[in-house]
Amino acid sequence: MKTIRCITAALFLSVLLVASGAPAQQPGGTIIMALGADPETLNPGITTGYAVGAITANIFSGLIRLGPRGEVLPQLATAWQVAPDARTYTFTLRRGVRWHDGRPFSAADVKFSLEEIAGKFHGRFRIAYANVESVTTPNASTVVIRMKTPFAPFLKMLDTFNAPIMARHLFAGEDIARSPRNLQPVGTGPFVFQSWARGDRVVLVRNPNYWEPVYPDRLIFRIIPNAAQRSTALETGEVDVVTDFYLSKTDVPRLRQNKNLRLRFGQPIPALDFMFINTRRSPLASAKVRQALAFAINRDQIVLQAMAGIARPAKGPFGDGFKFAYTPETDYTRLYPYSPERALKLLEEAGVARGSLRLSMVFDAARAPLAAAAQIIRDNLRQVGITVDLVPLERSVMIDRVYVKADYDLTVQSFTSNTDPAIGYHRIYLTAPSGQPFVNATGYSNPEVDRLLALAAQTSVVEERAKIYAQVNAILARDLPTLILFDEVGVDAARAHLRNLWQGLDARDAWWLVWGAK
Amino acid sequence: MDGSLPLWRYILGRLLQAVPLLVGILVVNFLLIALAPGDPVTVLLGEYPAPPEYVARLRDEFGLDRPVYVRLGRYIANVLQGNLGFSFAYQVPVVRLVLERLGNTLLLMGTSMTLAALAGLLLGVVSARRPHSPLDSGAMALSLVGYSIPEFWLGQLLVLLFAVALGWLPAQGIRSTRQEYVGLAAALDVGRHLILPAMALSFRYIALIARITRAAMLEVMHQDFIVAARARGVDERRVLWRHGLRNAAIPVATVIGYNYAFILAGSALVETVFGWPGVGRLLFDAILQRDTPVLLGVLLLVSVTVVLVNLVTDVLYAYLDPRVRY
Repeated sequence: MKTIRCITAALFLSVLLVASGAPAQQPGGTIIMALGADPETLNPGITTGYAVGAITANIFSGLIRLGPRGEVLPQLATAWQVAPDARTYTFTLRRGVRWHDGRPFSAADVKFSLEEIAGKFHGRFRIAYANVESVTTPNASTVVIRMKTPFAPFLKMLDTFNAPIMARHLFAGEDIARSPRNLQPVGTGPFVFQSWARGDRVVLVRNPNYWEPVYPDRLIFRIIPNAAQRSTALETGEVDVVTDFYLSKTDVPRLRQNKNLRLRFGQPIPALDFMFINTRRSPLASAKVRQALAFAINRDQIVLQAMAGIARPAKGPFGDGFKFAYTPETDYTRLYPYSPERALKLLEEAGVARGSLRLSMVFDAARAPLAAAAQIIRDNLRQVGITVDLVPLERSVMIDRVYVKADYDLTVQSFTSNTDPAIGYHRIYLTAPSGQPFVNATGYSNPEVDRLLALAAQTSVVEERAKIYAQVNAILARDLPTLILFDEVGVDAARAHLRNLWQGLDARDAWWLVWGAK
Repeated sequence: MDGSLPLWRYILGRLLQAVPLLVGILVVNFLLIALAPGDPVTVLLGEYPAPPEYVARLRDEFGLDRPVYVRLGRYIANVLQGNLGFSFAYQVPVVRLVLERLGNTLLLMGTSMTLAALAGLLLGVVSARRPHSPLDSGAMALSLVGYSIPEFWLGQLLVLLFAVALGWLPAQGIRSTRQEYVGLAAALDVGRHLILPAMALSFRYIALIARITRAAMLEVMHQDFIVAARARGVDERRVLWRHGLRNAAIPVATVIGYNYAFILAGSALVETVFGWPGVGRLLFDAILQRDTPVLLGVLLLVSVTVVLVNLVTDVLYAYLDPRVRY
C-alpha cells in the first residue's frame, strides 16, 4: 500500500513537472547584463562602485555570501563561530580552493585582504574594520577576527561586495590603489575574467574548478550608457538582465506588459530618498520651521508623480526597509500628514512672515526622480508662501555645494545602506565635521542621538536594537534635520527564459546559479 | 599660376598658422575645465567617505593641489612631447583610450557622410530638375524635417521602429554579444549594427546637402555654358550630371568640410544613444566623470582634425574649381 502511494505520488509529481514545463537545470549559454558605464577598476576591494561590484562579484568571493533574504551562507568560509560577547569571530575556510591562476588559496589571503585592501580602501568596509582589533591565522584554513567593540552588521559585511578576498601573492608589496593588477582580476569565484573592451563589454567565462555548479558558460556585461536603450535592449533580447540601479522607472509600466520579461519588485536592499535641511541657517535652525516644511510637503504626490507610484512614502528617519529601525509610534505618515494649514500655523508661531522666506533647493541634475521631487516640493512650499529657487547642478559641483561648502538651504539626496542602517544611514545623523562627501550635510548635532546610534551599531540582539532605534526615532521625529520623502521600491528585470533568478540579497550576486541561458 | 603661391607652400603656411591656434585652444580648454567648480576626485570616490590620505594622494597624483598656471605649463609641455597624460578614471594613457575608439568613430562618420553625400546630391538634383513640382516640394519638406529633428530623438525613433517593433536590426552596440563571428561574418555583423546609427547621424546632412545642391543646381542650370551645352544637343542627363553637378558640387564639398565639427558633435550624441564605443562617447563619459585628461585629449583631437579637415576642404575646393588659387 505504501509503495503504491509512493508510486502515485512520484507519477503525480512528474506529471506536474511536465505540465508546468519546468526545464531541467540546463547548463550552458550566455547571460548578458546591462551596465550604464565602464567599471573604474576591476578591484572590488578599493571601491564601492556599482558596475565594479556587478562584474567582480562573479570573479571574487567573500568569506560568506548573503542569500535572498539576507541569510548568511558559506562561500570561502564553510563554517564560523561568533563568541557570545560578539568580540571574536572564528572562520573555517574551504579546502582545496585555488586562485584562477592555479595557486592555492589560504588564510593568509584573507588576513591580507582585510588588513591591507578592504580595511584600508573600501568605503563601507572601513566603517566595519574600524572596530577590528586583530586578524590572526592559527593555521592555513582558520581565520580569527577579534573586535575592539562589537559591530552588529560585521558578519554580513564579509561578503564579496564589502570584503572581497584578493590574492596575496599578486598584491603583496604592490601600491594597491594604483596597481596595474587592478585591471587583471584573478579571483577564486565562479567566473574567470576573459576580456574588457572599454565602452563595449566585459566578458567572463565559467571557472571549471569552482566548488559549486556554474550553469552559464559565459557572463557578459554590456555597457549601454543611455537608460532608454537599456530597456529596449532588454525588450529585443540583446541583453538578459537590467538591475534596478540601471533601470529607468518610467519604462517599468511598459516592460511589465512584456511576456518575455520577468520583473521583480521590491529588491531587498533598502534605499531612501531624503530632503536635507541646512540646520546651520536661520530660520531653518528652528525645529518648528522644519516641522512646518514636513506638513507642507506632499510626499504621496512625490511618490505618484516623481516615481510613477513605484515607491512607499517613507515613515521614519530610516525608512521601513529595516524593520527593527522603524517605530510605528513615530510614523511620519501619522505625525506629519500633508497639511498646509498646520504648516502655516507653525510658520506663524516661529515668526516667519508669509511670503518672506526664500530657500535654495540644490540637486544632482542628472537624477530625474530627484529633479521631479524638487519641483513638486517647490510647488508645495509655494502654497505656504515659501519661495524655492531650484539649483540643478552637475554631480561633482553638487557634492561641493552641499557636502563640502554646506552652501544650500534644502537638497534632495538618495542613500542606500547596504545590509544595515549602521553602514549607510547613521552617517546622515551622527555629528561630523563638515566637508566630507556623503556624511551629515545638515549640520545637525545631538549628543544623545550620537550615543544611541553608537549603541545601536554595537547591539546584535534585534529586539534590543529596535528599542534603541525607537528612542532615536522619537528625537529625530521632533528635530527633523531631514525629511524622509520615500523608500524606493527597487525593480529588477530579466528575460523570462532564465531560471533560478535572484539567489542573492544583491541583484548582482549569484549569477552562476542561474540556468536556462541561451 | 602667375603671382599665386604654389599649392605646397600654401598648405605649409596654413599648417604653421594652425600651431598657435591649437596652443590657444589648448589653453582655453584647460582653463575652462580647471576653473569650473566641482572636484574630479569626489566623483571618482563613490558615495562613502574615502580615507583622507587616499584623497590627498589622488589629488597630488592628478596635480590638483598645484596652482593652475603650473598645471597648465606642465600640460602643454607634455602635449608637445606627444604625452596626453593618464585618464583619472581608468588609469590608462589617454592616447590608448582615444586610439581604441577612433576607428569606430571614423567608421560611423565615414559611413554617415558617404550616405549623406550620395542621398543629398541625388535628392537635390532630382528636386532641381523640376523645381516646384510635387517631387521637389516633397523632397524639400522632408529635408526641412530632417534638418530640424534632433539626432538623439531620431535615434530613439529608429530604434523603436526597426529594433523593437520590427525586430530587423539590433538596437545598440557595435557587435553581437551572444554569437561571436569571424572574417566576413564579423564585418557583416558590424554592418548590421552600423545601419541605425548611420541613419540617425546622416539624416540631418542629407537634408542640408539636398537643399544646398538644389539651390546650387538651380543657379548653375541657368548659366550660359549649360545653355550652350543644350544648344549643342548634349544629352539632358549628361548636362545635368556632368556639366551641372560638377559645378554645383563645390558648395557641397565645403558644407561637408565646414560642418565636420558639428558632425563630430552629433556623433557624440548618436554614439551615446546607440552604445557605439567611439570617441564621442568617450567625450560624453569623460564629462560625466570629470576625467580632465581624457576630456582635454579628445578636445585636442577634435581641434586638430577640424583644422586639418578645413585645410583639406580648401584644397579640394581649389581642385574642383580651377579658378580658385590662393
